[in-house]
Amino acid sequence: MSSSRRSRQASSSSRISDDQITDLISKLRQSIPEIRQNRRSNTVSASKVLQETCNYIRNLNKEADDLSDRLTQLLESIDPNSPQAAVIRSLING
Amino acid sequence: MQPTSSMNEEFLKKWQMGLQIFRPSIDNTSVHERKKAIKLSADVAMASLRKGTTCWSRALIEKTATEDNFLVRQMLSGIKAETLINKKLPKKTVCHRKIVRRSKKILRRKSKSASEEAAAKAKRLVKRRTQGLRNVVPGGELMSNDVLLLQETLDYIVSLQTQVNVMRSIVDAAEAEIER
Repeated sequence: MSSSRRSRQASSSSRISDDQITDLISKLRQSIPEIRQNRRSNTVSASKVLQETCNYIRNLNKEADDLSDRLTQLLESIDPNSPQAAVIRSLING
Repeated sequence: MQPTSSMNEEFLKKWQMGLQIFRPSIDNTSVHERKKAIKLSADVAMASLRKGTTCWSRALIEKTATEDNFLVRQMLSGIKAETLINKKLPKKTVCHRKIVRRSKKILRRKSKSASEEAAAKAKRLVKRRTQGLRNVVPGGELMSNDVLLLQETLDYIVSLQTQVNVMRSIVDAAEAEIER
């Protein structure tokens, strides 16, 4: 792996990158319910935000897995052409 | 940044198409296989929403194809997303070219003030947490750039929320319908 020549703008590009990361972590704060509901969400550290993000993603995946289990038992009820499908569609758009 | 109604609708449509494709094989299989097909079709539907534009979605399609290549290809064809079949993960770690590359600074060995030491410690902790993200976001290990990783994480969360919201709505409504 060859090392690239150091750019004179290394410090400025590093600063841009850091600003982007700060902005993205701020967006993550707003995406995680456990943090968003906290009155002092602005004071939650970047490290804490990232940890809560990992937990949240794991929880979402677990929930999708559980829902798949429940749906397996209900498979016969899901007929895209049935009135039930229309009910479900209206639920989602409602 | 929250899932939109149109995202929910599009996911539902793709997922239903996937279930229809799986139905013949589902009817004759065990409960375990049935559950696997349902989850797999939901994952493919979720990933296909991004039309191959994100690293996590390409990684997820590749992962599901590894589990059941035939069914995944059938579903992608059914939802008119054949182009995603051949979307390879990049061998190199760069997924987006627009990201400003960040050169690594050579660590200077010198004594640090208390505040500098605290900042360095916080930075090391954040680095460890981003490694955790790489483990839970599909394709995360391939993103060497922290900015890209966080962008993909945000997009992945919205997509996961879409998947869970729609699945929950269907399951709850179906269960209520049965009890009627």
